[in-house]
Amino acid sequence: MVEKQTTGHHVDRSICAWFWHQYNHHRNNDQMSVVTSPTHYLFPLIRHGIIFLACTQLELPPLLPIEFLSRFADILSDYLCAGSGAGATLNEDIVKDNFVIVYEVLDEMMDNGFPLTTEPNLLKDIVLPPNLVTKVLHAVTGNSSPSVGPTLPHAAASTVPWRSTHPKTTTNEVYVNLVEQLDASVNRDGNLRRCQVYGEIQVNSSLPGFPDLTLSFTNPSLLNDVRFHPCVRFRPWESSQVLSFVPPDGHFKLMTYRVKELKKIPIYVKPQLTSDSGNCRISALVGVRNDPGKTIDSIIVEFQLPPCITSADLTSNHGTVDILADKTCRWSIGQIPKDKLPSLSGNLVLEPGLDRLHVAPTFQVRFKIMGIAMSGLQIDKLDVKNMPANPYKGFRAQTQAGDYEFRS
Amino acid sequence: MLPQMGAAAESLSKASSLVMRIGTDAHLYDDPDDVSIKPLLESRYDSEKVDALKRLLALIAQGADVSHFFPQVVKNVASHSLEVKKLVYLYLLHYAEKRQNEALLSINCFQKDLSDTNPLVRAWALRAMTGIRLHVVSPLILAAITKCARDPSPYVRKCAAYALPKLYNLHQEEISSLEQLVDVLLRDNSPAVVGSASVAFNAICPNNYPLISKHFKRLCEALPDVEEWSQIILIEILLRYTVARHGLVRESVLFSDVTHDSTFSSVMSRCYVEGHELWSGDGRGFEEVEMGTCKNEDVDLLLKCTAPLLWSQNSAVVLAAAGVHWIVGPAEEVKKIVKPILFLLRSSSVAKYVVLCNILAFAKAAPLLFDSFYEEFFISSSDSYQIKTIKLEILSTIATESSVPFIFGEFQDYIRDPDRRFVADTVAVIGFIAKQLAVLAGTCLEGLLKLVLSEPLVSGSYQIEEEDGVLVQAIISIKSILKQDPSSHEKVIVRLVRNLDRIKNSASRALIIWIFGEYSSMGDVIPKIAPTVLKYLAWSFHSDEVEAKLQILNTCAKVTAKTKGNNEDSTLFKKILNYILQLATFDQNYDVRDRARFIRNLMGNKTKNNLDIYRDLIESMFCTKPASSPYPSANIRVYLPGSLSQVVLHAAPGYTPLPKPGSAVIENPTGLNNSSDVDESEGSSPQYSTEDNRSGYDTGTEETSENGDYEETPLVNISEANVDQGQTSQNDMSNFVSTDLSEMMSRTALESWLDETPSFSNGSFGQSHSQNVSTSNARVSFNDRNFKLKPRKSHVLLEPANSDGLRISYSFSTEVSSVSPLLVCVDLLFENFAKETLRNINIRFEEASGNSISGPTDPVLEDSASMVSPDKIPTFPMEEIPLLSPNETVKRILQVRFQHHLLPLKLHILWNGKMHLGKLWPDIAYFLRPLSLDMNSFVEKEKQLPGMFECSRRCIFSDHLQELEQNEKISVNADKSLVVAHCFAVKILSSSNFYLVSMDMPVSLKPDDMSGLCLRFAGEVVNSSKPCLITVIAHGNLTEPLDVTVKLNSEDTVFGLNLLNRLVAIVQ
Repeated sequence: MVEKQTTGHHVDRSICAWFWHQYNHHRNNDQMSVVTSPTHYLFPLIRHGIIFLACTQLELPPLLPIEFLSRFADILSDYLCAGSGAGATLNEDIVKDNFVIVYEVLDEMMDNGFPLTTEPNLLKDIVLPPNLVTKVLHAVTGNSSPSVGPTLPHAAASTVPWRSTHPKTTTNEVYVNLVEQLDASVNRDGNLRRCQVYGEIQVNSSLPGFPDLTLSFTNPSLLNDVRFHPCVRFRPWESSQVLSFVPPDGHFKLMTYRVKELKKIPIYVKPQLTSDSGNCRISALVGVRNDPGKTIDSIIVEFQLPPCITSADLTSNHGTVDILADKTCRWSIGQIPKDKLPSLSGNLVLEPGLDRLHVAPTFQVRFKIMGIAMSGLQIDKLDVKNMPANPYKGFRAQTQAGDYEFRS
Repeated sequence: MLPQMGAAAESLSKASSLVMRIGTDAHLYDDPDDVSIKPLLESRYDSEKVDALKRLLALIAQGADVSHFFPQVVKNVASHSLEVKKLVYLYLLHYAEKRQNEALLSINCFQKDLSDTNPLVRAWALRAMTGIRLHVVSPLILAAITKCARDPSPYVRKCAAYALPKLYNLHQEEISSLEQLVDVLLRDNSPAVVGSASVAFNAICPNNYPLISKHFKRLCEALPDVEEWSQIILIEILLRYTVARHGLVRESVLFSDVTHDSTFSSVMSRCYVEGHELWSGDGRGFEEVEMGTCKNEDVDLLLKCTAPLLWSQNSAVVLAAAGVHWIVGPAEEVKKIVKPILFLLRSSSVAKYVVLCNILAFAKAAPLLFDSFYEEFFISSSDSYQIKTIKLEILSTIATESSVPFIFGEFQDYIRDPDRRFVADTVAVIGFIAKQLAVLAGTCLEGLLKLVLSEPLVSGSYQIEEEDGVLVQAIISIKSILKQDPSSHEKVIVRLVRNLDRIKNSASRALIIWIFGEYSSMGDVIPKIAPTVLKYLAWSFHSDEVEAKLQILNTCAKVTAKTKGNNEDSTLFKKILNYILQLATFDQNYDVRDRARFIRNLMGNKTKNNLDIYRDLIESMFCTKPASSPYPSANIRVYLPGSLSQVVLHAAPGYTPLPKPGSAVIENPTGLNNSSDVDESEGSSPQYSTEDNRSGYDTGTEETSENGDYEETPLVNISEANVDQGQTSQNDMSNFVSTDLSEMMSRTALESWLDETPSFSNGSFGQSHSQNVSTSNARVSFNDRNFKLKPRKSHVLLEPANSDGLRISYSFSTEVSSVSPLLVCVDLLFENFAKETLRNINIRFEEASGNSISGPTDPVLEDSASMVSPDKIPTFPMEEIPLLSPNETVKRILQVRFQHHLLPLKLHILWNGKMHLGKLWPDIAYFLRPLSLDMNSFVEKEKQLPGMFECSRRCIFSDHLQELEQNEKISVNADKSLVVAHCFAVKILSSSNFYLVSMDMPVSLKPDDMSGLCLRFAGEVVNSSKPCLITVIAHGNLTEPLDVTVKLNSEDTVFGLNLLNRLVAIVQ
């Protein structure tokens, strides 16, 4: 099932078939970011089982199509999944159901092979996102409501294209959310090899008028790398490490940052594998180290069984263990109980002829901690200027595992 | 809906999904054609039209061709509902190119919409109008863009800027007016418009540096405010401009000492500037190339304005900005780019591979920049194999003595990775690093050896391909480390050899045997164990595989050759060698037998006097070390950072290296101060009228844009009249696009154009002729086609001197073969210069398989030929000439099929029972059949073959001078330009097999000016039956040699290029 739009020179649809063949051929999780076909260069992006494919014959910065596709995917899921409840992700049905909107959005975002309007707020004014009201209306009356906005949003003309000048919201509040991902890698001897935090500052602003916000940190020196939303002014950051910006309306990613060389990890896994005469004893212990002070939620430990293992028999004293079709072993723990350490143990049977296991799986851990930013980054204050009334300000933080792995 | 309802009753989950689908367009997608679409489209209600259009879109999405609804859909373009409009535009853009005539109907509506009060409608109309790609309306599009470029809404202006490249793709003749528009848009106040104008600039005139120089400062300052996508392009433009203007910067990292490997960075900078093809790889220093200046303020400004972009959330922008700093930034500031680039790795997982490719290139030139960030390149289990390998390569490049312990510690873990391909790569990298850093050689060897001897690899019972890969790679790594300093690692060799018996994999065995043979005379221990090893090899020979057997033979020969003197060992060695040779001579594999025979002859022939020679021979044969292939690819391929070519490692079509440093000389960058007078510069300003022959048109649109109504446009200015000269009939006029255009323009009303009443153009003719004095839009066509073709060039196949007086010459014929369209006809001329009669002259073809000469009369062999290649048509035989009396000439037609359009066909020429070899060289110009096309279909075909199917070359044509001279004597009256055109056509037609589609040239005031003379030829490639279109355009005065551009459009690009070269050779 393919959606597509050709611009400029005609590209034959058969290229999709070619790609599909290639994709199925090299299924072994090798995600390519640039594919050279006999006639074209292809840039695939795979999101939630939907493949977005860009294709060119000529030289261009490869990151441009890649970045565009991921932006397109973001916007599309923003458009289509917002109405269908939280946590919904793009899938084939949703795209099918809204194929007209997909076409329209794509047409607005792309002109002659070059991105045209990619600012989500602007797009939503031009192509109206589907919402529950229009859906119900449609179902009742049988008339489809217009999916195209009546006029060009003023923002398209203004110098701050990300902000529409007439936000519909009447609420007066702004939420700042620190979302961090903790990357850690522990090697076979149990030494911490690498530990860093990749974080995003997500802001949800619903402020009327033309607010001017300033966000400052208590410890900006922590930040190793930063990237900003286009609304952030560069100069104040350069001079005093303060984020000064006119926010877009709604949800957006103000800044991404990285804090490196952390020393503490909240959770540890101690895997042990011993093998002889065609059998391998496996055991793994999960525990909390450097208690972060908040509960650690939805802990999942995953590892890939090596290909030379024919069967596995795994049990745990807490949580459930599943072995998925692609030989991934998933141990869902949830929260760590107070009274005991969750442990997994079992026996792996090796392929006949193999005496000992010479390869070692890597244990990946996923978890979530609400209410804390593991990097230690702290927001000092948020000043709102250019506003008639003082808005409500909310702050939140959360940490989850990124590339959090233990080698055995 | 009903069956779905039923399903909903069955399962709750389905029901919930159904609820979610209510109100969406799901049912339209599922059964798009469950109702008749046509009446819906013609409905009076917008909602029904929307419904129909959505169904059409659904069908398009499913891959169905619904272009037959085109007429109905086009009508709806006039709808006032925005949604209908949007959907109609979507449909139009999809099919307009297929249904050009109907698409014309929509132009009127677009023009109305362009004057709408809603900027969104204006922008959409412009986008749709430019998007439908109709050649005939390009002047209207230009007018529309010109109008929109001055629109009050920046959004519309932005769309106007994006529309420029579309028009340029369609119609490349109006460059000057397009550039003028780019100039106007670059001056815009809104950064968004400036950004899109820069995109247009890049597409239309990327080398127009004076234009940039006018705006350079403003562009730099606007850079941070420009939209992120345009930033990518604008950065590149500014970089190219700076390099072209000021040259590369001496302080930049490419020339500084930061670089670890100065040759690499100099190669790199050369590749950036010259591109790969031009770089010959000689030792010429880069300094010879004009390299330019130290820092100056333009460069500083560019760097200052791109620095904040390193924080952009768009990874493409970050990489582009990093590229600027890399190329023109001073070396000490290049460090700035390192962290942002590395951050890209984490922040956008999709772009990881591309970023890594670029880092690799950077790291190769300046490893020190990255050496402290080695941790970034440690592999995470979620990385794909592709990313893992490139990370390894980066690690191997940046490893230093201080970081290597950590890197190796990391490698220890990788060795146990389940992905054995990756393990093999890791092992290779270990070998590479150990080679670079000699200190580590010992530990590395130890580790590798442990790996090699570890149980699973050698156990033999558990053999899968990947494990073997690891093993072989490990031994290769050991080998490459040993090569650095073999004598100090003697023990390693001994251990390897001692374990030879445990290793079963033949490639690994062969490698170890080679190592043993190579270093057999070294150190103290190895010579002592040599006899035992050789005995073992002799014992294991029969059970080894071919690869190892060959290596055993070599090694034995080597060892024997190396032992000098006549001691106990040497006799033993000889015995063993003889034994092995004996075994090998009766081996099943003929390679082994060959090798054995070879060695036996070499070793066995030892007479006293030439013993030394043999020894030397053997030693130099076996003991020279084969050239090692270092792990990273030896051929350095570098392209500009951030380019597609850098990722795929070959120059992608359209890749252009940086301009030559300092190549742009801008006399007077005064443009900065005239940016205020936008209004003055357009309209009828004299400075443009010379280069823009449609300046009159420009003023015309200015007037109309005030009215907002195109129907009133005084169109005479742009009419293209068809001035026929003498011989042609009026009917032929309809052959020309120019006629169509003129009619359409003069009547404007599109409906009447579609009615096809060709009479009106005559009315406008006189008018336009009088006004066209200054323009060159009117064209003269020459329809006199009574050419006297010159005799075709004949080539000699057989000289009489070496063939008893028989001379055979051949020339290619324009006839089409009667047997198969794939055959080319060749006229053969047999002449007998001898005094005796020649008998039984015949020509036979050498078969492709090369082992038989097929007699043309032999049916069996002919059969076999057709069996060899059933898809190939066998070359048609020639009729034998029984007798050829002296001075007699006989003509024969030979129908041949060439395997390739450049390679000769080998022939056997037989006469009087003798045989002679000959070669028939193909002439690519006759690998065509004339393709009879009229002008319209030519243009249409041409449009279908743009971009990579198009190539062009320039050359000089001077034959007409001679012709003119002759003509002057005969008749003064003959039209000179006609003579030139004729001369041209004859030249091409008499040495190729084309159909002449048209000859025309613009009417010009100057009698001798031939500029714009245009000839079009069409042919069909014999082998592929694909059309091949030639357009020849001449420039210059007819009394001088003409400057000719030959353009070729063909799907068969390789053939096309060769043909183009041939045509240029013909013309010259």
